[in-house]
Amino acid sequence: MRDEQTPLGAFEEQILVAVLRSRDDAYGMEVRREIERVTGRELAIGAVYATLDRLEAKGLLTSGRAFGNGAGGGPSRRRFALSAKGARALADTRAMRERLWQGVDVRRLLSLARA
Amino acid sequence: MRSRFPRFPHAVLRTLLPRAERDEVLAELEVEYVQRAGAYGRRAAGGWAWRQAMLSAPALMRWSWWRGWSGFEPRANAYRPGGNVFKNWLTDARYATRRLRARPGYTMLAVLTLALGIGGTAAVFGIARPLILDPLPYANADHVAFFWRPGWWNEEEYSYLRDKFPGYQRVAFYRPADVTMRDGNAPTRLLVGISSSWDLFDVLGARPMLGRTFRSGEDVAGAEPVVVVSYGLWRELGGTPGVIGQRITLDGTPRTVVGVMPRGFWFPDPAVRIWQAQAINPQGRNGSYALVGLMKPGLTVPRMGPHVAALVKTISERFKYGENGDKTRDAYVKPLRAELLGKMTPAVVATFTAMALILLIACVNVAALMLGQVEGRSTELSVRAALGATLGRITQQLLIEAVVVGLLAGIVGAGLAFFGFRILAQSLPIGVWADSARFDWTMFAAALAIAMVAALVVASVPLFSLWRHGNLRGALSGGRTSGIQGRGGRLERGLVVAEVALAMLIASGAALLVRSVTNLYAIDPGVRTTGIAVVDVLSSRSWNGDQRIRKLIEAVDALKTTPGVRSVATSMRLPLLGGGNSWSEVVEGRPANEAVFTYFRIVSPEYFETMGMRVKQGRTFDPTDIAAAADTSHHAMNIVVNEELVKKLFPNESPIGRRLVGGFDWPQTIVGVVNTVAEGALTDKPEATVYFLDRVAWFGNGGSFVIRTARPQDAPAVLDDARRTIQRVAPEFAVQSVTTMDRVLDKAVGPARQIMSLLTLLSGLALVLGAIGIYGVISHFAARRKRDWAIRVALGLPGSRVIAHIVRQGVVLALMGIVVGAVAAAALTRLLSTFLYGVSSVDPVAFAGASAALITIGAVAAFVPARRAGTVDPARVLREQ
Repeated sequence: MRDEQTPLGAFEEQILVAVLRSRDDAYGMEVRREIERVTGRELAIGAVYATLDRLEAKGLLTSGRAFGNGAGGGPSRRRFALSAKGARALADTRAMRERLWQGVDVRRLLSLARA
Repeated sequence: MRSRFPRFPHAVLRTLLPRAERDEVLAELEVEYVQRAGAYGRRAAGGWAWRQAMLSAPALMRWSWWRGWSGFEPRANAYRPGGNVFKNWLTDARYATRRLRARPGYTMLAVLTLALGIGGTAAVFGIARPLILDPLPYANADHVAFFWRPGWWNEEEYSYLRDKFPGYQRVAFYRPADVTMRDGNAPTRLLVGISSSWDLFDVLGARPMLGRTFRSGEDVAGAEPVVVVSYGLWRELGGTPGVIGQRITLDGTPRTVVGVMPRGFWFPDPAVRIWQAQAINPQGRNGSYALVGLMKPGLTVPRMGPHVAALVKTISERFKYGENGDKTRDAYVKPLRAELLGKMTPAVVATFTAMALILLIACVNVAALMLGQVEGRSTELSVRAALGATLGRITQQLLIEAVVVGLLAGIVGAGLAFFGFRILAQSLPIGVWADSARFDWTMFAAALAIAMVAALVVASVPLFSLWRHGNLRGALSGGRTSGIQGRGGRLERGLVVAEVALAMLIASGAALLVRSVTNLYAIDPGVRTTGIAVVDVLSSRSWNGDQRIRKLIEAVDALKTTPGVRSVATSMRLPLLGGGNSWSEVVEGRPANEAVFTYFRIVSPEYFETMGMRVKQGRTFDPTDIAAAADTSHHAMNIVVNEELVKKLFPNESPIGRRLVGGFDWPQTIVGVVNTVAEGALTDKPEATVYFLDRVAWFGNGGSFVIRTARPQDAPAVLDDARRTIQRVAPEFAVQSVTTMDRVLDKAVGPARQIMSLLTLLSGLALVLGAIGIYGVISHFAARRKRDWAIRVALGLPGSRVIAHIVRQGVVLALMGIVVGAVAAAALTRLLSTFLYGVSSVDPVAFAGASAALITIGAVAAFVPARRAGTVDPARVLREQ
């Protein structure tokens, strides 16, 4: 099966990066907090869950629960991890972004922004 | 802790979050809430909680829709029970669709049956809405009342009473006044119009779209003639504001357009396109006006009694009335809506009721079908129950299946409504309203709404059969091995009885109307209507009698040369149109109190022959009368009278040569007697009539050409030729309408005929649906008890006994339905009483006819499955089981 991936949306990218940053603790609430911490914007938990689920449906994320580790011995939280496909998509997105930025005069950009 | 998290956001999140994770997410949100409350205060934390819920909602709702639709379920959730509600519904909808697709016969039958009822009901609703539900386009609609005897008031009465109407702010009067309009070289056209006092629009509270309505003083003699036009006519005149102030030629006189009424305005019906201010002659005694008044603030129609009494007193002090047309009797006022739309209401209500009954029958039918399906699915349902399905879950499944069927039926029904709508509108006795009725989105919405209600009705039956047992196991047990008597079936039988009862309602209504219409056609109108073409014309009001008669004669001569025409005549007014043009006649030399009410008709010489009337005594008009008329030095007025006049004025003597006085200033000599014709309405009692020769008198500006064709079936065919001939020979006549005498008779027979054809169609539909219902249920019974029958046949019971038994079952059900239906019909057919003639609304013949039809249908419908059961080979059946 070929990996013909539509480019990631900005929010999808943020979520994937946040999952990556949270390493072993990537459950919904934590992903939300991670993005809030970095971007300084408030985020609704529902939007995070919907996107996490969508990314899993696309095969970019996997999720699962480890039994017996949760509080009180029940199943633990549902944790997310990047799949190989997700990792490739994220890497592609980053590479594409870097290609885009190559040759951009950053000093000029900053001076424009100041004006 | 949790109690501190705002309650509503909590509930929103709880509803929308995926079940598998919602508890843990909510717990964390509560923890964070407490932290935030500590750090930033409770207000800020509360705001945050609300934002979390409100901003999550759209994303989560999109997510559940999409996830439910795609069937995607995260693997980790598979271990948790529940799942979201949305997904359940979608799964069930998909499952229902699959099931329906797998049973195309059942689906088609159910959808089409329901669609018939839904489409018809939606179409009737679309027609009924503007007539019954929509507000009238007048600001003062609730404060305007009509006076008794509309069409009977005259200018003298109005001029005298104008400022004396007690209890009214203002009273306007009007009469129908169709006008001819000549526009350049185009042929003269006829406009349906109203001519009124200046304050008509003020009374109604209607504002113009452009320009103004009439002003005080525009309804007196000598005022500049002004008109207000309808939106449609304004569009035809160019549709620009420049139309205001333009002069148009009406009835040969130029008139100024001062205003345009907005789109959707109508008064007194949508056919009217022009309103003219009429110069009121305070001495005018020609009465054909209606009075309509705006009541004083605080007064309503029921409270007008004393004011009406005061008005009657004023009238009786000033005017003296004869026996006929005494306006001091039966005085009352009538609300605007009742007067304008009241006549059509019973027909629309009757049709709507019949349509709703059909819909109900269709629902019952589909419910019976579904019930059979549910029983046929007992194995499947048992398996599902064994796997943990609850009663609620199966209820949901059944409901959704009904809703899917309903939706399909709603869509098909809207299509049927769209196509059947115009036919239905034309076949209802609602006159010009049929043309203004339009199919719009509300009818589509109505179809879908009706479909949903129907689906719920349909689903309620199988659901009832499930719930009756209280639990699923009880409902499903015993499906396989039934005892000798078979299982229950009471519900199904009840359904068939209900269905037959409903069919009985419609069929007996139709039978009553058939009887009534037969009675109406049995009345002898006195003319031979077959083979007569009719062309109604209107001439310019500015003509004098000589101009008019010359043109009439020219036109008659030209029409006689048309191929296929046997004879041609003219009359100022045709029979069967409901009267009009009457006065009193008395024998010369006798006192005035012996005068009798008499219709007068002005006809050409060949009128009697053309109309197929019979000469009873003397002769009709001949060349000597025509020659005498040409001599203007003396007024020798020869007349022909009818038998009724002879019966009233000359009971025991010969009327020939006797003279009458009435109407004209000089006496009239009777030269002949013809048979009595229904000059008024078909069902009126016979009235005296005098016929004048058209060379000696004229009246009004309307008239009809009657053309008898050589072959009766040619009458409609000569109409176009006749119209062209009249336009060529006498372009000053505006051809108002063309028709045949047969059509005139049909119309005289009236709304009953139109409703009859509709109700007959509907009762046919009801019978077919009823037959399907009986067939379905009986064949279900027969199939379920196949084994019993097989055993009995094996033991020596003849097959014919089996057939007889099963048919008897069907007939008994039909009989029970008929009894229930007859009782309901006796109450409901009163709706039809305004259309009935010579028949009681509980006519035994009609009821017997309807019952016979239903029993026959029941027997035939039961015979088919009975034969199948009676001719089966017992050995095979027993082996099968």
